Amino acid sequence: MTELSLRLVVSLAQILAEMTIVMITVATMTYFERKVLGWMQDRMGPMEVGPYGLLQPIADGIKLFFKEDIIPAGASRAMFKLAPVLTMIVAMIGFAVIPFGPDITMTMFGLTIKPFVVADINIGILYVLAIASIGAYGIILGGWSSNSKYSLLGGLRSAAQVISYELNVGLAIVGVLLLSGTLSLVQITEAQAGGFWHWFIWGGRPDGFFPIHTQIFAFVVFVISAVAETNRIPFDLPEAESELVAGFFTEYSGMRFAFYVTAEYANMLLVSCVAASLFLGGWNAPYPGTILEYIGLEQLAWIEHIMWFTGKVYLFLFLFIWLRATLPRLRYDQLMRFGWKVMLPIALANIVITALTLYFFPR
Amino acid sequence: MTFKTWLKTITFYEILVGMKTTMSHMLHYKPITMQYPHEKRTLPDNYRGMLALLRYEDGTEKCVGCDLCEAACPSRVIRVVSAEVPGEPTKRYSKEYYMDMTRCLFCGLCVDACPVDALGMTREYEWSVYDKRQLHLNKEQLLAIGDRSFLVREKQLELQHPNVAFFNVAFKHLPQKPG
Repeated sequence: MTELSLRLVVSLAQILAEMTIVMITVATMTYFERKVLGWMQDRMGPMEVGPYGLLQPIADGIKLFFKEDIIPAGASRAMFKLAPVLTMIVAMIGFAVIPFGPDITMTMFGLTIKPFVVADINIGILYVLAIASIGAYGIILGGWSSNSKYSLLGGLRSAAQVISYELNVGLAIVGVLLLSGTLSLVQITEAQAGGFWHWFIWGGRPDGFFPIHTQIFAFVVFVISAVAETNRIPFDLPEAESELVAGFFTEYSGMRFAFYVTAEYANMLLVSCVAASLFLGGWNAPYPGTILEYIGLEQLAWIEHIMWFTGKVYLFLFLFIWLRATLPRLRYDQLMRFGWKVMLPIALANIVITALTLYFFPR
Repeated sequence: MTFKTWLKTITFYEILVGMKTTMSHMLHYKPITMQYPHEKRTLPDNYRGMLALLRYEDGTEKCVGCDLCEAACPSRVIRVVSAEVPGEPTKRYSKEYYMDMTRCLFCGLCVDACPVDALGMTREYEWSVYDKRQLHLNKEQLLAIGDRSFLVREKQLELQHPNVAFFNVAFKHLPQKPG
């Protein structure tokens, strides 16, 4: 076997493992979303399938798999079939650059591989932003090809919304990029090692405690824009249930519908991973080093790192559900005004202020 | 804009208050859901459920075929075919008795109208069916419902207060039968 094919096999195994983790997380998210939403609204959520409804995601999957696949008359068939696949693929391949665990290398079959990141490319965050924008194509295509006014309106809204808020996401992370001086997610995360006061949300310098470089405004802008970008309540205008039946996926059924739902949850997971990596220190614990290291288990420290990363990601996912349980949907003009007149100036001002503080107080 | 409202705006004060509310509901988790097929609510005492025909203690039907229930019914649920009791020209009974429960609105007027208390409202309510013709009940089915719902039956009319029993007992101002 040549080195290239070996490399391919190892990468495919890594991708398979990561896809499995993502899909399992998506399945649990569909369950926990309904459960937490129920708890917050004095309901119980799913209770029938399995103990406490634990098998509900499996039941949902089986149900959607066996449902009739309807293509509406007058639909553009090729586009109609392409759109959910595009959305799903784009939501999935974003995870390639997310570092789930510490940046350790191990040698296997004569190859050096990084077990916790599929592709450690030096423009990781740009890759994530680019891929996330392509996801809008799937939504717009799905809305247009359905030959339905609700779908078309949903698709158009989605286009406007994603363009508006993609901009804010891109500008909000510039401060972090200035502080870390790199675009690689692995190196950005590594720059935040050594306690929570090194995280970029705090932006503290290694030699002082005063948060002169704090990125908290960028963090708030990023989280709000991420909620808008993943079409979640309160920014779920593309699929506004009470106005447009289900928005861009009104006409979809069966597995194509499941693709859209899976892609939505995968996108939530992706932006949670990015937010955790950029602002909350990724896999780094909020104290210097790791506990397992102190008690003499250096080779097991990655477990603690991964647990911290998972905890931060789930914090964001919980925040998504929490917001959904609390807030009503924005009106369309409010959404646009908020995006362009509030979020954008804050993000721009953050860039200027971060640049100035970095010039006068270099790290 | 005062400083206070400005501060509230930039800290998302009102959103945070709302999020606190939802969080407190989650922490003090008291669902109001009743998991219906597994747990059922206690019915009120005067619950008006499925209609049924009743029998006396010895198993004879109470119904005398007077058609008053049919006349009282506002939605024409009931149809009675009355006939003489064979060999007893002074007594009548319902030869056939039909209830179309798809139309019944459970007002209880037929039960009030019945002079011999031959009709009763049980506490059954789980009567959803796939074929609505199954809700067109005949006399045997109605008697069966009464048999399984009213386990304690009344004595025959002759064994109750004889001076009251032969009047129309639906008149509430007359002395009522015991028990």
